[in-house]
Amino acid sequence: MLNLDINGRRVTVRKGTALLAAIREAGFDVPTLCHHEALEPYGACRLCVVEVREPGRSKTRVVTSCNYPASAGLEVETESDAVVHTRREVLDLLLARCPGSSVIRQLAASVGLRRSSYPPDQNRDNCILCGLCVRVCEHLGYSAITLAGRGGGREVAAPLKEPPPDCVGCGACVRICPTGNIPLVDRDGMRRVWDRDFEMVRCTGCGRAYITREYLQSRVASSGLPASHFELCDECSRSRAAQTMYQHMVLGDKEASHE
Amino acid sequence: MQAIRSDRELKKYREGLVAARDPKRKVVSVCTGTGCKAYKCDDLASALQAEVDRQGLSDKVEIVPTGCHGFCERGSLLVIYPDDIFYQKVPAERAAEIVEKTLAGGEILEDLLYEDPVTGKRIVKEGDIPFYKHQQQLLFGPGRRMRPGSIDDYIALGGYEALAKVLGEMQPDEVVDLIVASGLRGRGGGGFPTGVKWRTCRDAPGDPKYVICNADEGDPGAYMDRSLLEGNPHSVIEGMVIGAYAIGSSHGYIYVRNEYPLAVSNVHAALDQAREAGLVGDNIFGTDFCFDVRVSRGGGAFVCGESTALMASLEGYVGEPRAKYVHTVEHGLYDKPTNLNNVETWANVPLIVNKGVDWYTSIGTGDVSQSPWGGSKGTKIFSLVGKVKNTGLVEVPMGISLRQIIYDIGGGVLDDRAFKAVQTGGPSGGCLPESFLDKPVDFDELTRAGSMMGSGGMIVMDDRTCMVDVARYFVKFLLDESCGKCVPCREGNRRMLEILSRICEGRGVPSDLDLLERLGLAMKRGSLCALGQTAPNPVLSTLHHFRHEYEAHIEEHRCPAAVCRSLITYTINDACNGCTLCKRVCPHKAISGEKKKAHVIDQSKCDQCGVCIQSCKFDAIDVA
Amino acid sequence: MTADTQQTNEILARYPHEREQLIQVLQDVNRTFNYLPAESLRRVSEALDVPIADVYGVARFYAAFSLEPRGRNIVQVCEGTACHVRGASGVGDEFKRTLGLPDEGGTTEDMEFTVVGVNCVGACALGPVVIANGEYHGHMRANKVGKLVRNMRKKD
Repeated sequence: MLNLDINGRRVTVRKGTALLAAIREAGFDVPTLCHHEALEPYGACRLCVVEVREPGRSKTRVVTSCNYPASAGLEVETESDAVVHTRREVLDLLLARCPGSSVIRQLAASVGLRRSSYPPDQNRDNCILCGLCVRVCEHLGYSAITLAGRGGGREVAAPLKEPPPDCVGCGACVRICPTGNIPLVDRDGMRRVWDRDFEMVRCTGCGRAYITREYLQSRVASSGLPASHFELCDECSRSRAAQTMYQHMVLGDKEASHE
Repeated sequence: MQAIRSDRELKKYREGLVAARDPKRKVVSVCTGTGCKAYKCDDLASALQAEVDRQGLSDKVEIVPTGCHGFCERGSLLVIYPDDIFYQKVPAERAAEIVEKTLAGGEILEDLLYEDPVTGKRIVKEGDIPFYKHQQQLLFGPGRRMRPGSIDDYIALGGYEALAKVLGEMQPDEVVDLIVASGLRGRGGGGFPTGVKWRTCRDAPGDPKYVICNADEGDPGAYMDRSLLEGNPHSVIEGMVIGAYAIGSSHGYIYVRNEYPLAVSNVHAALDQAREAGLVGDNIFGTDFCFDVRVSRGGGAFVCGESTALMASLEGYVGEPRAKYVHTVEHGLYDKPTNLNNVETWANVPLIVNKGVDWYTSIGTGDVSQSPWGGSKGTKIFSLVGKVKNTGLVEVPMGISLRQIIYDIGGGVLDDRAFKAVQTGGPSGGCLPESFLDKPVDFDELTRAGSMMGSGGMIVMDDRTCMVDVARYFVKFLLDESCGKCVPCREGNRRMLEILSRICEGRGVPSDLDLLERLGLAMKRGSLCALGQTAPNPVLSTLHHFRHEYEAHIEEHRCPAAVCRSLITYTINDACNGCTLCKRVCPHKAISGEKKKAHVIDQSKCDQCGVCIQSCKFDAIDVA
Repeated sequence: MTADTQQTNEILARYPHEREQLIQVLQDVNRTFNYLPAESLRRVSEALDVPIADVYGVARFYAAFSLEPRGRNIVQVCEGTACHVRGASGVGDEFKRTLGLPDEGGTTEDMEFTVVGVNCVGACALGPVVIANGEYHGHMRANKVGKLVRNMRKKD
């Protein structure tokens, strides 16, 4: 365990903790866009910057709190002039890139920015290149999409610009995107995402088409659980479990089935 | 070749090589570096060899194709030893004459000699030529006298003696201490004390450890590392083996830029020879120490010169840098302790081992007795290019002034035009005007002046160079090369380019300059890696030293250097005699006029492409 | 198995089948086919056990690779700083104008020429430098472009 200072408040964290967790532990917060608890920190959006001083040093540094390791005696400022200015510039640039995104507009407004200093891009979608979609896809083991190109031409892309063969239609990328930029349509038992059409499987409980066949097969293969485990959608599965628990614990029915 | 198993065997082998050489035999060293290949030096070398054979002189003359000599402006060139006769701008067709008249007959061909521009006299000996006289070619020198990657030539000149000494007489810790005491600092631009890096890597927990040679020389206009690697790969390999021993590593990589095929093949050949000689691979010099090297080609990305991006690329991924809050010496390649050094840095190592700390620290600036940060020791190789007379690679002791490099060695500005600025440090550096010419060149002085020494690129600019255009050029380069991961660099470079392009096209507004400064500061603070952090430097340094040029573009719609096409006009003057050449070559059909009568340019059609002015033989076209 | 796949397999046979070799393999594929054919990329993905999205990402990131077939004649205009201050952009513009190519360069419709800007080739004494089909042309100027293009068209 080690002690460090966040905005003058002392906090104790485990060795190896990133500053972001320490900051929240201390009761403060910083904005983030490319961060997600379930994934490795990426350090792309630069919104979470803070100013730090290592013990014994005279100079401070501006660093990203999502991946900077806490160290004993570190002094951290989350709202210094340097970081406030940096965050504002980042949002100024993002506002010009994605003028159509309400999420970016709100974030920019929160630092007093209503119009960008730069001419807004026309004909652009709301991708901020945070990489969350690609990262979560890789984390889940599919690696169906990628970040392609570099510099001004960088984009999220399906390989060879074709409907990605490794995509299973799980929709994780859609849900994790901070600006809701990835389109997904569920209709009549079919899901369309990344220009691919997936047949969906219906829940035997409520009849809702809730999972794609490909994703179900993948989960069966990777989890080792039988296919029957996936017959119910999450909600029905939870109701069934609650019912079972009620019967078992409250009514004392020892023969109640567990799923 | 048989494996060499001890210092004694190495000595014996070297003595054998030297004894087999006839000291009376003339050696003709012909530069065959990539720069000279463009001058068809390979044809010259083979023509010379053919002539020597044909005239029956092979026991009297040896033709040795070598790596780069550095005097690229004068290629193709050759030096005849032991007399030190220097011939420059030699066409292959003169081979027969050279062999017959000079090599056999002892006669000097005056027109092939270098002519001193100041005295007008022809100089015979290479050592008397100002370009070479003011240099100290400690690293570059040997490469000029050996076949690239010939291990015999390398050993004959004393190669691998340092390695033999290290493995035979020194403990790894002692080697680290030696490099710390020498004050050697990274030559790739960072200037970090090499010995300190080695020590941290040695102490870091983890196995295996890796040593890497960064040969991804990306600064445009800089080609020192390429020439070193092409011309004397063994010096780099020897350095790496010594370093690996000091650090405790058995695995090495040389990461070479994709655009350097000759360097790649020469390194491969040198490694094969070194393995055969038992100097790389298992049981080096007959000891327990094992170390081998893989060569990895880059895919073409400037950002891969950054160490974390390089390691990602080595692993087979895109070259995306990551935060360096945890250092690569502790968690680098494959998350293991990794020591990465530049080509020139590695080449310095055998030199330091052979000559010792006292000798090495007598060269350069400052005092490193307390700390290697206290000075800049040894030599540095620069690539002196741009609007300079003697374009080439120069190796000088640290502390020499910019003026000495540009004027004494470089011969001054091309066409004797007015000096405007010198750009150092590549896209991470800055432009310094005339008032800084007497600054000594080392790691710290130029940084204090607002630029940096960088990896060694030194670009001379004259009054016909537009500083706003230079800033725009660097920003465009960095935007193309940016990995695109972080917002400040990707979006920041894009917006900087937009603003600078508008200014160059005459559509700038006064508030643009403040915006550039504000954005530049955000990029310095907020970017993930050094590419983005230093991207504003060319813009901010030119704004600082040449603000009047920016203001002229914005307020007067004028480009003082007459470069920015939207702001210049081509006009035909009184010298026009109506030869009709410009009218015929103009791609936009913008010139009209009758034969023998003065021609005129239709400004509405003129694209300022420059074809007419390049074709006119009478200086009859002006640009303003 | 098509000819593309067979040649790709020959390249793959030269390397250990591990992720570390991905860029080296793609270099050889690009050199063999003058670009990276899609089928080749799929074979590489399979052989090295790297997801096709990752292979594509690597192919898109590095300047050495082209995902589109390239012309019979490759013109590389050096965009190094030394060449730039000596007027390289005018030379590049003249090539593109002569061949009807956009600002970014590219390949002509008849697949005869590909014009591309490249990073410093390290022959700064000869700047501006153009490498035409591997041959270095130094001290290039806009008014020499026409002749060079004509000569390249003639050779087969």
